[in-house]
Amino acid sequence: MSRILGIDLGTTNSLIAMMDNGVPRVIADPETGEALLESVVAIAPDGAVHVGRAAIELEPHLSREKDGRVSAVGFPGGEYGAVVRSVKRYMGLGGNEVAPEEQSRYTFADLSGPVVRFQIGKRAFTPPQISAEILAALKRRAERALGEPVERVVITVPAYFNDGQRQATKDAGRLAGLEVVRLVNEPTAASLAYGLNKMAEGNVAVYDLGGGTFDISILSIKEGVFEVLATNGDTHLGGDDIDHALVDWMLAELPDQVRSDRHVWNSARLVAEDAKKRLSEAGNVDLVLELPGYTIRKSLTRDQLEKFAQPLIKRSLDRCELALKDAQLRPAEVAAVVLVGGATRMPLVRRRVAELFGREPLCSLNPDEVVALGAAVQAGVLMGTQGDMLLLDVVPLSLGIETMGGVMERLIHRNTTIPTSVTENFTTAVDNQTHVDIHVLQGERELANDCRSLARFKLGPIEAQPAGLPRIAVTFLIDANGILNVSARDERTGREHSIDVKPSYGLTDEEIERMLEEAIDLGEQDLEQRLLIVARNDAEQILGALRKQLGEFADLIEPGECARLQAEAERLDAARKTSDRDLISKLVEELNELSTPFAGRIMDHAIKQALEKKSVEEVS
Amino acid sequence: MIECPSCGRRQQPRLTCESCGAPLGADLDCFAAFALPRKLTIDSSALERAYHDLSRRIHPDRFAQSSARARDASLRSTALLTRSYRTLRDPVSRGLYWLELHGQKLAENNKAVPPDLATLVFEVQEELEELREARGADVQKLRERTLSRRALLEQKMATLQGDLAANFKRWDDGGEQAALTAELKSVLSRIAYLRTLIRDLDRELENLKAA
Repeated sequence: MSRILGIDLGTTNSLIAMMDNGVPRVIADPETGEALLESVVAIAPDGAVHVGRAAIELEPHLSREKDGRVSAVGFPGGEYGAVVRSVKRYMGLGGNEVAPEEQSRYTFADLSGPVVRFQIGKRAFTPPQISAEILAALKRRAERALGEPVERVVITVPAYFNDGQRQATKDAGRLAGLEVVRLVNEPTAASLAYGLNKMAEGNVAVYDLGGGTFDISILSIKEGVFEVLATNGDTHLGGDDIDHALVDWMLAELPDQVRSDRHVWNSARLVAEDAKKRLSEAGNVDLVLELPGYTIRKSLTRDQLEKFAQPLIKRSLDRCELALKDAQLRPAEVAAVVLVGGATRMPLVRRRVAELFGREPLCSLNPDEVVALGAAVQAGVLMGTQGDMLLLDVVPLSLGIETMGGVMERLIHRNTTIPTSVTENFTTAVDNQTHVDIHVLQGERELANDCRSLARFKLGPIEAQPAGLPRIAVTFLIDANGILNVSARDERTGREHSIDVKPSYGLTDEEIERMLEEAIDLGEQDLEQRLLIVARNDAEQILGALRKQLGEFADLIEPGECARLQAEAERLDAARKTSDRDLISKLVEELNELSTPFAGRIMDHAIKQALEKKSVEEVS
Repeated sequence: MIECPSCGRRQQPRLTCESCGAPLGADLDCFAAFALPRKLTIDSSALERAYHDLSRRIHPDRFAQSSARARDASLRSTALLTRSYRTLRDPVSRGLYWLELHGQKLAENNKAVPPDLATLVFEVQEELEELREARGADVQKLRERTLSRRALLEQKMATLQGDLAANFKRWDDGGEQAALTAELKSVLSRIAYLRTLIRDLDRELENLKAA
């Protein structure tokens, strides 16, 4: 079976890493030697895609020509092509969730739908599609470096990502032709990387301030078991926000129209980011921004920068206190503090974190690489090469359903170890009700309206019965990726209920299929890869359906048939883990044929039952 | 009888297969998940060790490369183990679960205030009201009063936890069920009340800090 790699899909930079003789190592670009791939994607009007540094060069900005004039260059957005940076901030977001100040940054196709869509050239791109380009670039890099196909990966996500953001990340993987074996929380991944270096056992806090997201996780490490006690964070807080505050300050005197020009804004952002980085070493720096016919010169001291950063860091420290409280620990009971993310290079961050926990934080591993290294370690765990290490992570946000009066009833509390499940019984409110509507929510607020809508689904059709008589047990299961799965069973008949889940945000399976089809013209090798995924999905689907039917309609199976079906199913199950698409497709067809008589009997049985029921009704 | 999704052996429902050790995905009660006898007294560090040990064997991370059926069983068994651990680890949730196993539960919404707590509840609410309305120098004084009240409540809680442990022991020694059930309900309902009170106090203290 092919090896599993680890990917850190970051707001600012992305990396891919692997286990190499028990040691995690980042895979650098074989041509350039670079480990970091900037998470920037440029899409030209004709659909050509550039990722990383090449994309940064195409960002709208101001440039001084040879003749001394300053002119606007790059893809300005919309029909002229666009460059998307920090796409992670938009993952899993509905159109209405894009902050007003971010709406002018890109040309959006539609902000009323359940998914943000960037208008680029003639097409609209969703955040998972753009992230998929970053993943595909990493996949190609690793394939060139290793000389073997890369198909299976672990991808890290911020611990505080909600269900929709996680699902969007999985979708991105699928669109890039990758099987996402597991999503791992970034701070937890970092702790695994540190853990390999035999970090002291006990309670550990991981403070992860990246480009766009902040996470704090508190873990207890005991004999190779990494148990997350509590996690908290803010998926819209990061180093980017400091840059943006600096940009506002730099451009304060300019008229609104100039300030919001994408070329001006972006050039200012580059100057701000550079100044911020230099101030980690220097005490003060000069900022120069050349506009057409106008030059902005400012000087910035570290003290001033810290004043800008202060409120943001305060927000992160408040989150740390909440996490400690949930973990029922005092700061002194934390044995080690680990810093992760580029923004933790700021001396102010180090100082304030040290103050809160009363100890100097650890930063012996490169804060830009540690998450990817941890993802590789988790990939090793999944491949069974990492001995006794085990990660027990938690769900970051409570999950519940909307009840009478718009109140959120919590079914799974935040910081519950995953995987976990809870079963809730539902019934009808009026006689002969055929459906029950269920609204699933995520969040910590009391009112459904204040929580994030996760999905709505309809239970049914339910047999006509007096109100309160039907008993439908709905199981909400959060898997090891932190993603919700729902199943329902009629308690009387023991029959599984079909559920039509309509996610409130994000892409449907059909949309992803369509995107995969759309992307097929991108190249022969991609095509093969995508067809393989389609074949695997078919295999998974038929195996799942058959398993369910064998359980439910055991009495309809003929002697010997069960064994034949199971043997065939096992062959398919083994085949779908290989890359042999023809074999998978062939076995899917064979299994389909072999199970046709059984499926026919199930159908007959269902019809007979329906008729019987009808005649009973007619009599009464 | 159920069949092991990994080796096919048919057996009584249990957490892991008696033959190959893979998770069976069976539905079990919290004690059975840990193969523990139905006893209320539980050594918490032994429980944690068992939880880690079993997790190591059945977690989905261990079955990432297995068949879909084995993966599904691992997922369900791990969810069950986690839930069982959470239920048994905390004496209060363990007690509540015990009532459930015996077809009992605390009175609906636990509305009736236990008589011996009524005065206390009343006093605390009044003190909090005063704290909310306090201005100027009074704030600090009343805050300290609330803090010492909190310490008293914690003390009372410790006593009740002791009562709970004693009740658990009598169950395990085979005491008379009806009397023990009544006592268990009464202790748990007191603890629930105290928890709410302490939470209310903490909320007010937090608000004070934020203001």
